[in-house]
Amino acid sequence: MRKRILVVDDELDMRIYVSTLLETNGYKPLSAVDGKEGLEVARKNRPSLIILDVMMPKESGIGLYRDLKIDQELKDIPVIMLSALSKKTFFHSQRVLNEYKGENIPDPEGYIEKPPEPEELLEVIQNCLK
Amino acid sequence: MGETILLVDDEEGIRKVLGISLKDRGYEVLTAGGGEEALRLFRKERPPIVLTDIKMPGMDGIDLLQRIKEERPETEVIMITGHGDMKLAIESLKANATDFVTKPINDDVLGIALKRAGESMRLRRKLREYTENLEGLVEEKTKKLMEAERLAVVGQTVAAIAHAIKNITGGLTGGAFVLEKGLELKNEKYLCQGWDMVKGNVSKIKGLAMDLLNYAKEREPDYQLCDPNRLIQEVYDLMLPHARENGVTLHIELDRGLPEIWLDPEGIHRCLLNLVTNAIDACNDISCSETGRAVFLRSSKGKNCAVEYQVADKGCGMDKETRGKIFQRFFSTKGSQGTGLGLMITKKIVDEHNGDIGCESRRGKGTKFFIRLPSNEQASGSGKTP
Repeated sequence: MRKRILVVDDELDMRIYVSTLLETNGYKPLSAVDGKEGLEVARKNRPSLIILDVMMPKESGIGLYRDLKIDQELKDIPVIMLSALSKKTFFHSQRVLNEYKGENIPDPEGYIEKPPEPEELLEVIQNCLK
Repeated sequence: MGETILLVDDEEGIRKVLGISLKDRGYEVLTAGGGEEALRLFRKERPPIVLTDIKMPGMDGIDLLQRIKEERPETEVIMITGHGDMKLAIESLKANATDFVTKPINDDVLGIALKRAGESMRLRRKLREYTENLEGLVEEKTKKLMEAERLAVVGQTVAAIAHAIKNITGGLTGGAFVLEKGLELKNEKYLCQGWDMVKGNVSKIKGLAMDLLNYAKEREPDYQLCDPNRLIQEVYDLMLPHARENGVTLHIELDRGLPEIWLDPEGIHRCLLNLVTNAIDACNDISCSETGRAVFLRSSKGKNCAVEYQVADKGCGMDKETRGKIFQRFFSTKGSQGTGLGLMITKKIVDEHNGDIGCESRRGKGTKFFIRLPSNEQASGSGKTP
């Protein structure tokens, strides 16, 4: 059976792009437009991997990421962050949030700066699913 | 060459002896036999030090001191008093004399008085130099700061443009990829989606380029006598299909009694178009479910202006913080969909018309923008109107 991968991005273009990349490489893409929908779809469909946009207007990808990682049933699903933020900025924000909230959320399994090149994204996806 | 001293005494003998003594000390010496003559000479030569007898016929030393202090307060005036003239001496100190020496003049005492005068002059000069230096320093630092500020603005501008372009490039990369897959797999869905993405992003980059041009271009407003209703009607007609596509109803309400006014039709058209586009976008904001999906365009005779345009939406409104930033360049609430230039350009155009732009907005209640334009003999500042 094809592995399900959830794409959460508020931009239609990015959802189509990543979904097409997944579809043409033998995965089954699922998509959601914001953090709230993303969490619902993740609970319902238990994807093998989640590709998450960091900057979304309603609920940021950062919030969703933390929600996923503290959810006992979802925390083992690997997550690739896709973002216009530089990797350094993102990881720094995670450390600050961890400290501030007294939580210990692990770093995401993958991180790609937008716009992603197809081969690059594919490679990270395959690594995460090994 | 030393400082110049004006020596004033009605006794020629004293002028002679004291004159020689002062010259010996390295001063240039001018002499006057009385107050009036001294004042004339003072005005002409402006000596920094005046040494004057107190008791003289006609204008006496105290009078002379007061006149000199009025005209050039920085002048050092040393008084020569007779023995036992303590009262006069004190009076002269009250009138800001530098010092006094008593007759018969003791050379050392005079030396001390002169030294004091010199010291005081030196300090004042120093102070003036510092002040001037300080002004120069402030000026220099200000220049540097302004330059830094300018560079910072350029930097921010470039960063914002780069960000906008990067976003669009992302879309184009995606579009190209999907299109390629469509061609490769002969998959019509991919072909259509990819093609739409490419087209959408091409029009985005076009929009960005137009916005940037409008932003950068110092366009002279082309004022014409116009029916203010015609412009808003045109924008209404133009935007009707776009609104319908987005499920937003567009309403227009015109005050038919408005007079023609002088304005730049292209500029005002752009302003209204920007406001209406924003209003439709606001109705489409998915982050708030309570939007009314309606936009109202109005024209009316406003208070203190020839025409007031209003563009109101029933969208989700703005909070105070957002309202404060909307006219800033590159501020956008539309994520990668907005360039953050529209309202800034709109304001620039309205400002050129000596008009007024503003908005009322409440979170959850919608937003109402207004543009008020003067009857516009005033806006003819550029000399384009007759």
